Amino acid sequence: MPIVEADAQTTPARTGPDHTPGRAPGVRHVRAGVLAAVLGVALLAALTFAVAWGSTDVPPREVWSVVLRRLSGEAPRPGTSDLIVWQLRLPRALLAAVVGAGLGLVGTAVQALVRNPLADPYLLGISSGASLGAVGALVLGLGTGGALGLGTSGAAFVGALATFALVWLIARRGGGFSPLRLVLAGVGLGQFLTGFTSYLVLQAGDEQQTQGVLFWLMGSLGGAGWETLAVPAAAVPVALLLLMARARALNTMMMGDETAAGLGVSPARLRRELFVVTSVLTGVLVAVSGAIAFVGLMVPHACRLLVGADHRRLLPVSALFGAVLLVVVDIVCRTALDTQELPVGVVTSLIGAPALLYLLDRRLGRNA
Amino acid sequence: MNIAIEELSVAYAGRAVVSGVHLIAADGEIAGLVGPNGSGKSSVLRTVYRHLRPAAGRVLVDGRDVWELTPVQAARCVAALPQERTSDFELTVGDIVMMGRTPYKRPFAGEDATDRAVVAGALERVGMGAARGRSFSTLSGGERQRVLLARALAQDPDVLVLDEPTNHLDVLHQVELLALLREQRRTTLVSLHDLNAAASVCDRLHVLHRGRVVASGTPREVLTPELLAEVFGVRAAVLEHPLTGDPLIAFDHRSPAAVASPVTTAVAP
Repeated sequence: MPIVEADAQTTPARTGPDHTPGRAPGVRHVRAGVLAAVLGVALLAALTFAVAWGSTDVPPREVWSVVLRRLSGEAPRPGTSDLIVWQLRLPRALLAAVVGAGLGLVGTAVQALVRNPLADPYLLGISSGASLGAVGALVLGLGTGGALGLGTSGAAFVGALATFALVWLIARRGGGFSPLRLVLAGVGLGQFLTGFTSYLVLQAGDEQQTQGVLFWLMGSLGGAGWETLAVPAAAVPVALLLLMARARALNTMMMGDETAAGLGVSPARLRRELFVVTSVLTGVLVAVSGAIAFVGLMVPHACRLLVGADHRRLLPVSALFGAVLLVVVDIVCRTALDTQELPVGVVTSLIGAPALLYLLDRRLGRNA
Repeated sequence: MNIAIEELSVAYAGRAVVSGVHLIAADGEIAGLVGPNGSGKSSVLRTVYRHLRPAAGRVLVDGRDVWELTPVQAARCVAALPQERTSDFELTVGDIVMMGRTPYKRPFAGEDATDRAVVAGALERVGMGAARGRSFSTLSGGERQRVLLARALAQDPDVLVLDEPTNHLDVLHQVELLALLREQRRTTLVSLHDLNAAASVCDRLHVLHRGRVVASGTPREVLTPELLAEVFGVRAAVLEHPLTGDPLIAFDHRSPAAVASPVTTAVAP
């Protein structure tokens, strides 16, 4: 149907809907509040099943009775239920939720930081540094065997921060702090560090050590305990608050630095703040769970398709969605094979890639 | 509100691209910046919307130096339409125009009735009232420019700064956008490549050449065949537009000006 423009000479006013071509309908987004409520319920359900299912199933009702009993401060009823629920599975399920939420946040922030919706935390090299730290600790025997002891986590965090400092210095050279410089510095340094990590893996003495290293590199929540949960459980809400305080500023950066500057935002300063928040949070997450692929890329992207690009909605929804996703993935990892656990990263890649393709296809189909 | 740019110099990596620029735009006046590529138009504009810090000189809006205000205070009196016109992110028209309210919002504050009314009003004024929920990437070039102008209007600024707003637009969309600009009756600083458009829409023109203002005045005073030859290096006759009475520049598209081509003046100090 041809669109007849208003006669520009007699009516220069551009009023009325006839001036707006009626081809594409508006972008339809889910209401963020509704989606958040749905995700909240889904998270509770996923956590319940994550604790209920395993080598020994515990009925969901029993899960809640143990948890409520513990939370109310009553003495736990003696028996295996309390051990399985409270000591083994609940910390792990909660860690999955916290790490998933953190990865969703980091991904959203990094994508705004480098102004590319397909960026992920690995782009800045920080996970590579963390992995090198952890693997180095494992191979040099600082960590205790294959278990992800405090030594390994500490080394991972140090590796993340050291890489962060290096990427920062490289990206700052020449005064600029542009997205391109950041990505180039991050990718370059990341590759370099990954080379070192591969060398260390080859040098790893015994088979058990290699096993531990590989598990780390592919991501695992197997090291979860109440004590591993504390730092990420504090870091993720703090990061969410810091990012939410800058949500409008993040929005202005999506069109470019000049646009942001014209709207009263200092892009260089915002980028520095984002870089610090994402680096520290990535370091904390990798330290407790290894390098879990795809969540940081996939979750914000999927959430943007659902609620739109406005960071005031996107940040909390990405955190919730990441939490639900990783809890579900960890259930699959623990229960898919009878004989052994799957690394989390393997499953996130297997789920993440097709899901992303599906969402992209749906989106393209709608706009065509 | 008036704009006064005083003794402005701008340098990129130590190399001066603008030096000693002085120009004034009176209250409600549309001041045009014209000049060949690389003459410093965009650099001057960037200092006004605080993207590029001047190496020397001042940018005054109603007597206040924008570089001595906070970024937020500056964004409440100066709104920009820079040359950034795409995004890799899927933004809706409403998302983009709501960005204009950023300088007025505290962290964590939601949108209130005022914000929504201002955004709706700005979209109405540019004739995109029905497009709020549409994806920005599906719009035509002319529609995008109108949406970006609506974002600037939602900033409720005293001063509008536009960098080549008619680039890549077909003639009708150029005419519409410039007509919209005139309707706003706000102090406006706009860079334009199309000298005929500049001649009909601007109250005063400032000609930039190698980072300096070489002529200022009404379009009729400034756009002479001699200046066009010297600054732009082209042969042209300046006529009177039969419909509007504005100066009409007829270029000789077959050969450049014989005298003072850009190459020879480049050697001169």
